[in-house]
Amino acid sequence: MKRIFAGAGVLLLAICSLTGCGRKEPAPGDIAGYDQGEKYLSIWVHTIEDTDEGEAYKEAVKRFNEEYDGQYFADIEFIPRNDSGGGYSDKINASVMSGDLPDVLTVDGPNIAAYAANHIIQPLAELTDEERNVYLESILEQGTYDDKLYALGAMESSVGLYYNKEILREAGIEVPDQEHPWTWTEFSEILNQLKPIMKEKNGYPLDMTFPVGEATIYYYAPFIWANGGDLVDDEGLLAEGYFNSEQNTETIQYFASLVEKEYMSATPIDKLFESGRAAFKFDGAWEVNTIYGSYPDIELGVAPYIVGDGWNKERYTPTGSWAYAASSKTKNLEGATELVKWMSGVDSGLLLFEKTNSLPSTYDAFEQIKLFEEDENYKALYYQLSTYGHPRPKTPVYPQVSTSFQQVLENVALGGMDAKTELDKSVERINAKLERYRR
Amino acid sequence: MKRKKSNSLLGMAFFGPALVLLTVFLFIPMILTLVFSFTDFFALNPGLTHFVGFENYTNIFQDELFLQSFLNTVKFVLIIVPCQSLGALGLALLINRVTICKKYFKVAFFVPVVMSLAVVSTLWMQIYSPEGILNTLLGNLGIAAQPFIHSAKQALPSIALMSVWQGVGYQMIIFLGGLQAINPALYEAAEMDHASGWQKFKDITLPELKPLCVFVFITVTIGAFRMIVQPMVMTGGGPSHSTYTMVYNIYETGTVNWEIGIASTMAIVFAIFVMILTVIQSILTRDKEEKKHVNKKTKNL
Repeated sequence: MKRIFAGAGVLLLAICSLTGCGRKEPAPGDIAGYDQGEKYLSIWVHTIEDTDEGEAYKEAVKRFNEEYDGQYFADIEFIPRNDSGGGYSDKINASVMSGDLPDVLTVDGPNIAAYAANHIIQPLAELTDEERNVYLESILEQGTYDDKLYALGAMESSVGLYYNKEILREAGIEVPDQEHPWTWTEFSEILNQLKPIMKEKNGYPLDMTFPVGEATIYYYAPFIWANGGDLVDDEGLLAEGYFNSEQNTETIQYFASLVEKEYMSATPIDKLFESGRAAFKFDGAWEVNTIYGSYPDIELGVAPYIVGDGWNKERYTPTGSWAYAASSKTKNLEGATELVKWMSGVDSGLLLFEKTNSLPSTYDAFEQIKLFEEDENYKALYYQLSTYGHPRPKTPVYPQVSTSFQQVLENVALGGMDAKTELDKSVERINAKLERYRR
Repeated sequence: MKRKKSNSLLGMAFFGPALVLLTVFLFIPMILTLVFSFTDFFALNPGLTHFVGFENYTNIFQDELFLQSFLNTVKFVLIIVPCQSLGALGLALLINRVTICKKYFKVAFFVPVVMSLAVVSTLWMQIYSPEGILNTLLGNLGIAAQPFIHSAKQALPSIALMSVWQGVGYQMIIFLGGLQAINPALYEAAEMDHASGWQKFKDITLPELKPLCVFVFITVTIGAFRMIVQPMVMTGGGPSHSTYTMVYNIYETGTVNWEIGIASTMAIVFAIFVMILTVIQSILTRDKEEKKHVNKKTKNL
């Protein structure tokens, strides 16, 4: 008899430990700092607790709790995310099913549309104009879906077209100012001029690859926008005629010509730019820090991102990063919005910059950091971001758009396939995923 | 009677926890996968799930990417299984012969097995890089630099060979154990009959290792079918999907594109395929075993 009880006990324990994931909201006093009369707000972030980024989030939440003492109590939970995107998003997917979403969660910029379209997040409570105008336009643009503001980030990002000043000086090439970027034709001529010089250095004019993953669309979709094209329509529900437009075929062919004319290596070579064997490189803003810290011999400059020949000052440069949003399950939208505003505000942006060097999301934060005034390269990146920043395509099928774009570039530029055919094929795949949203 | 009952209860008590865990983490997920495979389950919006019948099944067979990942996986298996099985046998035979530094060789060949696949993959990315060790060595021999994992043609064999290198030590140890268990008297008898080295290998070593060969063959095959980490780390399935494997496709469909329904269908189709293959394998090997017994009997007569 005892054994039966023991067996049943084990069974019960196992079941409880499995189903017991259902979160119960803690009562005041359960957690240090959560006092009677305060409203409880849970928040999930996508990092490990003891990283620089994690510490910045923790500090920001601590400051929120001090500021809103007696009104709100925010409780932060760290959910690590692996490089291929699992971990954090798995947890969110599981919580969508079990209905255990927190009040506030972080969402990667390009996923905002999918989360909004599937009602995982809800529009934030109304912000005053004054509150909105704190943020860079690119941040507001990124967080808006279907004309409603869903998310605000504390971080922005940008990609620079870096150049080696020494090499360009040697070749007698002048870099234009930010308002007059090189067009593709001009850039090709420059690369052509640099080719023999770089060959002597056992390198290439351009250090460039089309890696699998998010980097490719992030770095090179600007070529599409700067040539009057787009990847999907404004609603994000139509790819036909956009993804495979004539302009885009032209853009993809331009990439192919870079490989064909041997302006770049068809196989990626490690540290080509960093070792002084390439004149140009496209890379994230972090590259400035890397060069300053680890390759002091390279004289680094940031050139304006290149544009299509018919560019007419449209926004086109890379942007986007993780943002905060209120989940559809929150019963306290006012509080959640307060928390989102706080976490993405000037103070939190400064904190994150201090710890991780990531670009802030507010004009005030940029103004308060001297580096963006004093250092010409950081200044150039900020100018490019605030004046010409363009979010990645806002569509609920973003993952498919992103992988399709990378595949097309790889197949056409490196594999020698036909641009139009590949773009058409991608449209079919994107359409298959879009069907769900058209029903 | 009473004793029997308490015995079975005791058995259940020991078996119970394992059964619960297996049910929760294996049987239920398996059944759910089968159920999901007939739905359009979308991870971001589970509320909108409908049954779609066999739609997923007909769709995936028209999906070029599914067919390509399937083909890639088969290619991986076709390279890895013979290379790794024969390589392990060869290494075991060599080490068995070696008299000095035997332990050193054993450990040296076994070390990659212990290392994390992600670490090994990163290491080989350096080895295969355009200006890496391998290309430098080739350059010294006057051979032009090869793109290896950066070319759609060479990426799959490159990763397959790396996987063989990584995994071969495990099967080598198994074969080595088998070799050491062979009765030395058999070889002594053969020597008395002036049997050549090849004859000894063919008529003593191989038949004695037969059960192990079957085991190695099946485990290597199943391992090769599960290929995902190496292409994920080294090539991201590229270039042009040339190293995109079945499991990788299932993973991406389910977690990156949130299409749990379609991913489940792929998993079911793949599982059925591997099951059929395993059954064929076991039938083939069993037949030979039986034949051998018959042969032995006739020889004894």
